[in-house]
Amino acid sequence: MRLALSRPPTILQVEAANSYAYIATITNRLYITEQTSNILKRRTPTFAAPILADTRPLKKARYLRRWARRLTEFAFSSEDAIILAYGSFGLNVESQTVGVDAIITTDNRLAEHYQRRNTEIKNRFDDMIINLPEPYKRLTLPQVVTTAMVLTFV
Amino acid sequence: MEKLTVDADGKITIPPEVIQKRGLHPGDELSLVESAEGLLVYQGGVDDKTSAWWNSLDQEQRLLAETDARRYESLSEHDRDAIWNQDADSIEAEAERDEIDLPTK
Repeated sequence: MRLALSRPPTILQVEAANSYAYIATITNRLYITEQTSNILKRRTPTFAAPILADTRPLKKARYLRRWARRLTEFAFSSEDAIILAYGSFGLNVESQTVGVDAIITTDNRLAEHYQRRNTEIKNRFDDMIINLPEPYKRLTLPQVVTTAMVLTFV
Repeated sequence: MEKLTVDADGKITIPPEVIQKRGLHPGDELSLVESAEGLLVYQGGVDDKTSAWWNSLDQEQRLLAETDARRYESLSEHDRDAIWNQDADSIEAEAERDEIDLPTK
């Protein structure tokens, strides 16, 4: 948007855009949530089409919300909990794969909070999936990585 | 990733090959950002992927993009939030009907 208005990007936008560009060079498994996909489809195609072309929307597999509710017990907001839950229970319908390796965020506090409580979160997650039917027992937690951290890999 | 050393005056020296690669000149302004991971140095400007997208647009598409950007910019913060919060997912149990069962193999 800022480029269209002949304005330089903000530092946060530079960070996000460069991380995105780097990640796109090392994998073609880039995902967005169903909600983001739906919103982008309603936006001007000029802006939305390149992102929609690069990414696949994840559907919600069973138990995604149950896990999101558990995550709110660790003081995550419901919005953040849903995103984190997509990391384990997000389903790529095309490839029938579930979950992602990493969630990339500009939210340093979210990443730091997830990292700090990771052992407890992992225990809670294991306690939940052990009682679920077979395909769900193999699910894993994603990493949460900041855009700034991605740039240190470049 | 380059490793830089801070000298006694608090200065760091950017290696010449990086200066050349990034097209930096004396007097160019860089931004130093403190983040959870440490200090990040930004040259600013537009990344290659975004530049490639912008350069791929014809004049008409650029005008459309500009018009849309101006329209978006004129929205209040409340209206912008409303766009991005459309179809927000509920985490309540009553909303679970759209969840898909994983295939059993």
